[in-house]
Amino acid sequence: MLLRASGQTHNRTYQLVAVTGAVEGDGGVPYGRRLVMFAEAVLGEDDVALARARDALMAAMGPPALVDAAGVVGLFNAIDRVADATGIPLEPEKAAASADFRAALDLDRFAVVDRS
Amino acid sequence: MVEFYASAFHPIRDDLSAAHARAWTRIARPGTWWDGNARVAIAAETRRASGCALCRRRKEALSPLAIEGSHDSLGQLPEIVVEVVHRVRTDPGRLGERWYRSVIARDLTEEQYVEIVSVVAHTVAIDTMARGLGLDAPPLPDPEPGLPSHYRPAGAKPGGAWVPWVEPAYAGAAEAGIYPNERPPANIMKAMSLVPEEVRSFFDLVTHQYLPGAVMRDFSREYRAISHAQIELLAARVSALNRCLY
Repeated sequence: MLLRASGQTHNRTYQLVAVTGAVEGDGGVPYGRRLVMFAEAVLGEDDVALARARDALMAAMGPPALVDAAGVVGLFNAIDRVADATGIPLEPEKAAASADFRAALDLDRFAVVDRS
Repeated sequence: MVEFYASAFHPIRDDLSAAHARAWTRIARPGTWWDGNARVAIAAETRRASGCALCRRRKEALSPLAIEGSHDSLGQLPEIVVEVVHRVRTDPGRLGERWYRSVIARDLTEEQYVEIVSVVAHTVAIDTMARGLGLDAPPLPDPEPGLPSHYRPAGAKPGGAWVPWVEPAYAGAAEAGIYPNERPPANIMKAMSLVPEEVRSFFDLVTHQYLPGAVMRDFSREYRAISHAQIELLAARVSALNRCLY
């Protein structure tokens, strides 16, 4: 939701489908493809792919960006666990604001209320 | 660069290094429901979970509950704690309320559960960043002696989550500062409010590893070496990979 809000502020349209990994390009976000590949590699188990993704990101954006990207990936890998382990629902205002792209990207299948 | 990442190949912001050092210090100390030994053991078990054969079989199964067996654990914690640590670490996207109720029914309190989740989350945040940078996971701290405080907020009540939480209107003096004053707290902030110290600790990490709450929506300027859009793309991709709707 903040990705879309950021785009609206800067009058840019980001391809939100990029969050599913189903976009070949950057999705409208500078270096978006490299960032997505880096996130996928960090959460994956292929160390060679991770080294490649890390090098590509650092070459394109530099060491400080790599550090901040790794930090964000790490932090959200943790936040997701807090959210899923405590069973928190999406806030009503966020649910309303994101209903269209959750439906378009079929993200509602991850809702905690649907899990037994 | 502060000592926590003194040998890192990539320069790491001092504020971020310091936040990680503080997190490790807090994990080593007695918490609210677990002592320092148990908290460090939970962090160690979090690392152990990645190589657990049972967790791997469950992850590959259509239903994780259909697979029985024993976890490959370090043997330092009760079995039910190991079950929570391993499931939260290895398959969070398929945790369900039935599973949560079953572990709470097996001699684990809701307060203890929340603190376990927090220690796992701290460890995952720091270890995942290290993996991203090609660094070894930092050595775990030595536990500090002492007893847990056993503080339970009087205002904690069942709400919208599986675990009880503290609504801002019911937050007492001991909960001061866990929520922002200028806006309603997001549910992710309320999620661990049954153990307020864990909210403080985890959101110290959030502030430095992601963004301070006050600037998350300030799109007029950038606060990191990557833009808001780049940050949110990463965050959303990670959440999709973890099958986390929130």
